Amino acid sequence: MFWRLVFQLLRGSRGRLTVAILAIVSGAAVISALLNLDLGVQNKLTQEFRALGANIVISPASGAPAEISSAEVPSLMAEREVLEAVQQLPSAQVSAAAPYLYIVARAQNIPVVVAGTWLDQAPKLDATWRLEGNWIASRADDSHCLVGRNVARRLHLAVGSPLGLHYLDRSLQCSVAGIVDAGGAEDSQIFASLRTIQSLANLPGQIGLAQVSVTGTAQVVAEYADRLTAASPQYQVRPIRQVAEAEGALVGRIRLLIVSMVLLILILTALCVLGTMAALAMERRKDVGLMKSLGGSISRIVGIFLAEVGVLGAAGGLLGAILGAALSYWMGLRVFGTAIAPRWEVFPVTIALMIAVTLAGALPLRMLGNVKPAEILRGA
Amino acid sequence: MQVENLRKDFGNVRALDGVSFRVDAGEWIAIMGPSGSGKTTLINILGGLDTPTAGQAVVDGTDVARLDEAGLTRFRAEKIGFIFQQFHLVPYLTAVENVMLAQYFHSTTDEKEARRALERVGLGDRIEHLPTQLSGGEQQRVAVARALINHPKLILADEPTGNLDEANEEIVLSLLRELHTEGHTILMVTHAPSIGRLADRRIEFAHGHLVQAAVSSLKPELA
Repeated sequence: MFWRLVFQLLRGSRGRLTVAILAIVSGAAVISALLNLDLGVQNKLTQEFRALGANIVISPASGAPAEISSAEVPSLMAEREVLEAVQQLPSAQVSAAAPYLYIVARAQNIPVVVAGTWLDQAPKLDATWRLEGNWIASRADDSHCLVGRNVARRLHLAVGSPLGLHYLDRSLQCSVAGIVDAGGAEDSQIFASLRTIQSLANLPGQIGLAQVSVTGTAQVVAEYADRLTAASPQYQVRPIRQVAEAEGALVGRIRLLIVSMVLLILILTALCVLGTMAALAMERRKDVGLMKSLGGSISRIVGIFLAEVGVLGAAGGLLGAILGAALSYWMGLRVFGTAIAPRWEVFPVTIALMIAVTLAGALPLRMLGNVKPAEILRGA
Repeated sequence: MQVENLRKDFGNVRALDGVSFRVDAGEWIAIMGPSGSGKTTLINILGGLDTPTAGQAVVDGTDVARLDEAGLTRFRAEKIGFIFQQFHLVPYLTAVENVMLAQYFHSTTDEKEARRALERVGLGDRIEHLPTQLSGGEQQRVAVARALINHPKLILADEPTGNLDEANEEIVLSLLRELHTEGHTILMVTHAPSIGRLADRRIEFAHGHLVQAAVSSLKPELA
């Protein structure tokens, strides 16, 4: 009989409860979407920040990597040692890695910084580059190179142009595959395969630095940097803190924003339910008076009404959670370009929050405990 | 049932002033008097809907004046059946659910028994109807079925035919006569002398005082 009463109450008051259910569903949908975003945003932001490039730099311990000119003695590292250290890291979270050897060579008799690297890694490590032309798909491709836009302008190079590079008494020829617009120092550099530049500089197996892109939070990046330091204590391993800290700070701010919004929505939903329940409590004073006259204790009577709002909260919470999952999926596509998969734990949390909010909003039903049946039934 | 020196004050207004009378089990008592004479106040106190200011009202061995809120609730559920002038059915419950509501607050529900109670008052074909789908007479018959369902010691009827036409009034009165014949104790508030004469005794009120107690003139005829 209890649930029959609850069902009939819901059916009998559906007009009045429509406003409350709309508020609950809307609130639950936004909360569910925000919680899904909160749980998914860290991964997405991490991916976004990974797109900004490498977050660990390995360089010779003596100081910053040197550009090698014919007059300088460079600080270099053994390519094999560095790569072995990187390969010891769990591969699942190393999204990209590349060694670099910088030299200052001459092109058309003009000195220019040339970086030898694995050009197939450039799209991952330097995803913010805008490229006119084509990426170089293979790190073994010795016949193509990328040039910065400043270099291209100065040397009058275009995609497909031949380019001669000279270093001491050695030289190489490559064809310009693409022109890089990085908005930084890379615009004044030339990028060719590592093996070619090692050969040009006569430094086989030597590199000036290595860059690694690790997927994870700032803490994960720091942990990986520590592992690399332990594996190669002779080299300096530095996390790129600007990105890592910016990521951490942004995640923190977004989380604060989301929590604030969830609290605000909970309060607004509770207020809306409160308004509806206050009106409903006034409407039901006669019913409560009658139920009391039939021997209903106030705890049993209010229990029926609380079950009613509990069902309302649960149903609204479930519906809202489903809508919120769809909303977060759409928001993920719009904001991050990839969908945010609904998290199963959001469903019970949203439903529990909505039940709690509706029960809090049902406080006016408590005043039904003061109903005097004799007064109510006389005045009816 | 024994009422002794019962008094009820509403602020400065004395609704009942030292009322005393006794009702034997199985009696049908008509409580009569003008508006504001204290009839409904008496019914409310005897039914545990209100508490007296002084005096005692003993129903089936229980002094209502001494009961706390929880005690009054159990008292209403177990010993009293109410029939109100304005029917007071829960509008979103069907006829049978309105009857079952009284069962629910008493102990456990039995839908078959609730249906039988409705069939007894001639509403076998109205069992699943909502109050808004029933006439006034039908609603009052649902209220009678609800009042009977828990086999109460005392049926309190406050102007049970006050809102009914003659045909429905006769149906409800015949139901009350049936209940009386079965041995139920009935206290019925009424303004109508013709209805009052159906009872075993009439108790008349004026200004909160019991002014007259008379044996019904129709009683010998009915017997």
